[in-house]
Amino acid sequence: MHEKRNVLRGVWGLLLWPYILTVSMPLDCKEEPGSLTRCPSISQEKLLDRVIHHAELIYRVSEESCSLFEEMFIPLPLRLQSNQAGFACITKTLPIPSSKSEIEQISDKWLLHSVLMLVQSWIEPLVYLQTTLDRYDHAPEMLVNKTKWVSEKLVSLEQGVVALIKKMLDEGTFTTTYNEQGLFQYDTLPDMLESVMRDYTLLSCFKKDAHKMETFLKLLKCRQADKFNCA
Amino acid sequence: MMTKVGEVLLLLLLPAFVPHTDGTHYSLPGKPTDIKCRSPEKETFTCWWKPGSDGGLPTTYALYYRKEGSDVVHECPDYHTAGKNSCFFNKNDTLIWVSYNITVVATNALGKTYSDPLDVDVVYIVKPHPPEKLEVTVMKDQGWPFLRVSWEPPRKADTRSGWITLIYELRVKLEDEESEWENHAAGQQKMFNIFSLRSGGTYLIQVRCKPDHGFWSEWSSTSYVKVPEYLHRGKSVWILVLVFSAFILLLLTWLIQMNSHSLKHCMLPPVPGPKIKGFDKQLLKSGKSDEVFSALVVSDFPPTTSNYEDLLVEYLEVYMPEQQELMVDKGKDHDGCLKSIGSASDSDSGRGSCDSDNLLMDKSGAPKEEQQQQNQEGDQIGKETQGPKEAWEKEAMPCANEDVVSPDASSEKVKTWPSVFSPVTPYSPLDPHNSLEMHKQHCLSNTQFPPGSPSSDHYIKEALQSSYWEVCFNNNQPYPQTEVHPQLQAHSDRNISAVNDRNAPTGLLLPTQMTEYVEVQRVNEENKVLLHPIPSGHSREKACPWVGQRDDYSKVKGVDSDNGLLLQREVVEEESMEMAGAAESCYTSSIAFTTPKQTACSPVALPVQDERVLAVSGYVDTATVFSLHT
Repeated sequence: MHEKRNVLRGVWGLLLWPYILTVSMPLDCKEEPGSLTRCPSISQEKLLDRVIHHAELIYRVSEESCSLFEEMFIPLPLRLQSNQAGFACITKTLPIPSSKSEIEQISDKWLLHSVLMLVQSWIEPLVYLQTTLDRYDHAPEMLVNKTKWVSEKLVSLEQGVVALIKKMLDEGTFTTTYNEQGLFQYDTLPDMLESVMRDYTLLSCFKKDAHKMETFLKLLKCRQADKFNCA
Repeated sequence: MMTKVGEVLLLLLLPAFVPHTDGTHYSLPGKPTDIKCRSPEKETFTCWWKPGSDGGLPTTYALYYRKEGSDVVHECPDYHTAGKNSCFFNKNDTLIWVSYNITVVATNALGKTYSDPLDVDVVYIVKPHPPEKLEVTVMKDQGWPFLRVSWEPPRKADTRSGWITLIYELRVKLEDEESEWENHAAGQQKMFNIFSLRSGGTYLIQVRCKPDHGFWSEWSSTSYVKVPEYLHRGKSVWILVLVFSAFILLLLTWLIQMNSHSLKHCMLPPVPGPKIKGFDKQLLKSGKSDEVFSALVVSDFPPTTSNYEDLLVEYLEVYMPEQQELMVDKGKDHDGCLKSIGSASDSDSGRGSCDSDNLLMDKSGAPKEEQQQQNQEGDQIGKETQGPKEAWEKEAMPCANEDVVSPDASSEKVKTWPSVFSPVTPYSPLDPHNSLEMHKQHCLSNTQFPPGSPSSDHYIKEALQSSYWEVCFNNNQPYPQTEVHPQLQAHSDRNISAVNDRNAPTGLLLPTQMTEYVEVQRVNEENKVLLHPIPSGHSREKACPWVGQRDDYSKVKGVDSDNGLLLQREVVEEESMEMAGAAESCYTSSIAFTTPKQTACSPVALPVQDERVLAVSGYVDTATVFSLHT
């Protein structure tokens, strides 16, 4: 009896195996954090690693861009005082913890959501930054390229974080509401220096936030493993 | 009154208020400079400043900070924990990703001085403490030691939660004065292996760390480690290799030594010894000459047949080992001449001269042979058998003493001959088959023996002549197994200048291509072969009329470019006188050495004087053998 059943299952499996394959596996399963489709083939750890890697890269490039911009356009006395112009970081209003003790207390979910918030907040301003750089007389090509690159990577990072959220928190996709708040204003300032300072502030803030993202994700990673693989 | 007292008091107290210093100038405090803030673990941070001059007055310093986006000014919470001129911010006061605007104020009695403000964000000023618990152990990998270095992150850095990610770097140095630090990046790992150690050396190791975005820490304290000796391992291989190669060398040397004899043979071929048919070295060594000589005697020598026709050689063909022999066999048996006794390996030895039946030795030679035999048989044979050199020497003597018809040989020219031949050592390793040649050389060279001989050309000629004798007389005897032909061949390379008028030395050998031949007219008493040219082929009949011509061809006029001996034709009449009155019959038939025949012709000097180019014709292929200058 059992044998017959098994044999029958086997036969069905043989007959239907192409169908099964196509159903179970998405055709175009890219193992990237930017992929929206759920790829069962990639593990959570791997996905998280890739997301972290993305974040690291973004931070490094943003740091380089900021230094470049500072060298080119910011006069020396103003360099150490990024706040002098009075421009606050656009993400200041976001409820993101900024001390270690606080961060240690928030849950994984909040960490992820914080990251997502940050990422989504910065997509638009970076696009704006690309356009503003064209107005500069001698914007070095490297700076322009880096800014462009970062902008692209940020989008991928967003996708990755979304996928991670899905994986880790088993939440469905949800549209972000943060961008709708319109954190960023596109005012064109009459004063050249002010405009420059604003752009500089923008870059600095982005650099900081990139670091935040990276740190959060790393914390998240080290929380996952029971083996304390971060020790 | 009161005011007066007050003034006095003031005056008295005034000095108290006056500063005690002598001439010091009080001023505001100097500006604090070089504010530096560092965070060891991204949770707390410390700021240090450098105080300026105090202006002579006690100065106090205060640090004020303002957080980003806030106008509230706070003062440093802790001035003491981190030492003098420092400010320590503890965990509660530290915010990450928030810029602090820090200012240090110096205050003294006269006033305050503000420093330049500094913006600080904690995440960018992380400089951890150096790693701790550095341990180095020597481990062995199949006998080869290596160092295993391990360490711990600094105590305060929270790498565990991932709050801070550290990357490490270590450096190694030998305890030499000259050696340099060698850096190795270790990434995030806390362990590192170092290979390729110097045996017996002491190493110094240090390690440091850095957060992924931050500053390098200071180097940790040094760890010392001593590598044990493992020299033997490495060197033993070399010792083995050395021993092995030495052994191989010895073996090779021994092998070479063993085979030195054959190697020598290979590289320096031995000089061929004499090959005389019937010659027995052993007998010779034993010293019993009679036995040796008797051994040389062949039964059918001297030829006793009356048919001297056979002995008369119409023309002589010189046997060339490389060339085809033109054997004009007149039915004579030339075995005697041909065979080389004792060594079958000589393919050409002695064959040429006697091989053909066109020997220039005519039958006149036979009587001469007989004469010789009669006269000097034992002697001659003895000479022959005594050893080539000696024999020839003795031959040379008679050569020298005879008066040859050719009188006018210029001694100069003649001398060329000896000069030519003298350098030739008797046993020079020429063509091994040219023992006859050697003999000839002997003869020639030995012509120098008779000192002051008037006409040295005699010697040469006679020597040459005699050399031929040797060849031809011993048709049944063992004779030097040499071809005159090759001999002559060998000499062709020599620069014999004008060998004058003499008969082509041998006239015996003729190359196969020769069309003209010289005929041995006779052999005179003095063992000279008298040659006369044969105008055409092998006509025997013509030979006879020649007799009366008395042409003397004994003189060699010179050598032309084709290495032909140019014989000078002279008509000599005296020679006829010299002739021993023997019958002047000409025997043009070839002489067969094997069959002893009497030559009707008495040994007569055969003065042939004719300017014949011997190159193509001529007596001997001397033309080809000797390159004589004209």
